[in-house]
Amino acid sequence: MLEAFNFRVILEYMPLYGQCFLATLWMSGLALLGAILVGIVACGMRLGQVRSLSVLAGIFIESIRSTPLLVQLYFFYFGLPTLGIMFPEWVTGVIALTLNSGAYYAEIIRSGIQSIDSGQTEAGIASGMNYFQRMRYIILPQALGMTIRPMLGQAIVLVKDSSLLSLISILELTRAGQLLTSDRFMPAEGFLTTAVFYLILYYMLKWFSSWSEKRLIFREAH
Amino acid sequence: MLSFYFQELMRSLPYFLEGAWMTIAVSGLSLLAGTLIGFVCGIIRAGRNKLLRAIIGIWVDLIRGTPFLVQVFIIFFILPSAGIELEAFPAAVIALTNLTASFICEIVASGIIAVPKGQSEAATASGLSNYQQLRYIVLPQAMRTIVPPLVGQYVLLVKDSSVVSAIGVVDITRVGWLTVQRVPEGLMVFGLVGLLYFAICYPLINLSGYLERRMTIVNTKL
Amino acid sequence: MISFKKVDKWFGDLHVLNDINIEVAQGEVVVVCGPSGSGKSTLIRCINRLEPIQKGEIVVDNMAVHDKKINMTKVRADIGFVFQSFNLYPHMTALENTTIAPRKVKNMSKKEAEKLGRKMLTRVGLEDRIDHYPTQLSGGQQQRVAIARGLCMNPKIMLFDEPTSALDPEMINEVLDVMRDLAKEGMTMMVVTHEMGFAREVASRVVFMDEGKIIEVAPPNDFFTNPQTERGKYFLASILTH
Repeated sequence: MLEAFNFRVILEYMPLYGQCFLATLWMSGLALLGAILVGIVACGMRLGQVRSLSVLAGIFIESIRSTPLLVQLYFFYFGLPTLGIMFPEWVTGVIALTLNSGAYYAEIIRSGIQSIDSGQTEAGIASGMNYFQRMRYIILPQALGMTIRPMLGQAIVLVKDSSLLSLISILELTRAGQLLTSDRFMPAEGFLTTAVFYLILYYMLKWFSSWSEKRLIFREAH
Repeated sequence: MLSFYFQELMRSLPYFLEGAWMTIAVSGLSLLAGTLIGFVCGIIRAGRNKLLRAIIGIWVDLIRGTPFLVQVFIIFFILPSAGIELEAFPAAVIALTNLTASFICEIVASGIIAVPKGQSEAATASGLSNYQQLRYIVLPQAMRTIVPPLVGQYVLLVKDSSVVSAIGVVDITRVGWLTVQRVPEGLMVFGLVGLLYFAICYPLINLSGYLERRMTIVNTKL
Repeated sequence: MISFKKVDKWFGDLHVLNDINIEVAQGEVVVVCGPSGSGKSTLIRCINRLEPIQKGEIVVDNMAVHDKKINMTKVRADIGFVFQSFNLYPHMTALENTTIAPRKVKNMSKKEAEKLGRKMLTRVGLEDRIDHYPTQLSGGQQQRVAIARGLCMNPKIMLFDEPTSALDPEMINEVLDVMRDLAKEGMTMMVVTHEMGFAREVASRVVFMDEGKIIEVAPPNDFFTNPQTERGKYFLASILTH
């Protein structure tokens, strides 16, 4: 298999891969920002005092976590047009990714907040701080430190999940592999090259994760 | 019109149930094989052989660092070019088993490492062999940390199994995809698909949460 | 300054405070003691409504704490509270720990708050630990920062919930010294503690609680030398032999 590996074809397709790599990068980046936002809002609703909002956020989070991303993607891809909403594919894709990761971010943030010792809240209450002041100055800064690692873990998942966008014909890394496979019938060259690009992103995020963790630990203990 | 499509969808219900059966079959087989291989690899990964540990570490990184869809394509399209003809079903089971095993391997390894060193030292002191230590002292304690994320991993497995619809395995997702070509009501069709996944995953998610709470209680009692 | 009138509180079926009546005058130091589970911590946690009560009245400095409608921020700003487990904010330096509430609750300027924070940290003998994080401080130092944090609100009352129980023996005195000084300066204090030496020396009165009830209230010398109840005798015997 390897002796027949055609590096020339890969070189020939490199501009396409470069373009697709960037597409994966910016669509994941956009979805990541959106997802963190959705996560913060959903978590705020879930933990908040308004019961109806809390139930709503709960239903959102549970139904996302209990169904596959691919099904959610198809749900929007085939479903939005029946409502008369016509988005370009990539918008649909980014929406699905955003909502999906958003639900997981909501859970990550929630467990971060709940892992903070209740004494911290009590100390805040005792010195007369209100709910928002306690969240802003005491709970969230600490929760953020606790959640940095799972947050980056979810970012890795998000980047990998973006490969499913190829199934609704969005041009990104996995789609590049599919194109090379169908144009030249070279699946090995196509998908292994795709895999290498994902691995680059994976190792970058993984490195960043352990780097930020070391920095945080350093700050706590220095 | 809507009610017509609804009736049409109800007529397709048997196909959906067949699809559900396929999802359960693919996931179930991969669950058994993946758990078995994952445990063996995890025990080796937590062991003393540096070379084996490194090899398993690289394998885990390769699987974690690439999208599952790309892995499915590699197994389905590339193995045949290396002379191994595969139907979609066995390719799907192999891909899912491989994925699940790599994640379970990490869960098991970290569970074993989390058992205090004094436990195996005490076991050595009382003359237990390596195998006996693992079997009677270390693994039973490690199971407390292993079981909750293990069940969580099974949920991921069921959800990830939707991806194998991309190579033509007729699971729930594929049935949805086929149905939506006839019944152009995306929200309804994939709402039903989602519901079927929800029915499988939601109890598992709750089981995982329950086990986690129970294990924490048991741990604090110790 | 603090007055409890017929206060009752339940945790589920458990009657944790049972018909509590007590008055604490300005400048008084009241030590609350009793076996674990006697309700002594709950008693002082009710004063700034860390725990709500179900029956009765608690009035602090003419403000009715039991009234659900009252704005507790004002009440709490006048009460310093020191926890058994310090509860310092781990992501803030000693100085930041002391200045956050004055700045955010009392809207003090940063400069002003830091001046105050330094003054209070100096007062508890930690002028050289101002920029340290809690993890870099010993237990005794952390508890002194917590006291300085309470003092920064310029409180009329200081409450201490077993301030030395989480400390190693050699650190207990540095915290008690700070508390002695506070008492001498005329601070109104309620202290839950088992430090009987401290109680003897600075308390105006000792409150002995058991099973949610106040069993005895007496000046420390009377209580320690001649407890009036069997339960008081038994309790004293058990902590003395221990």
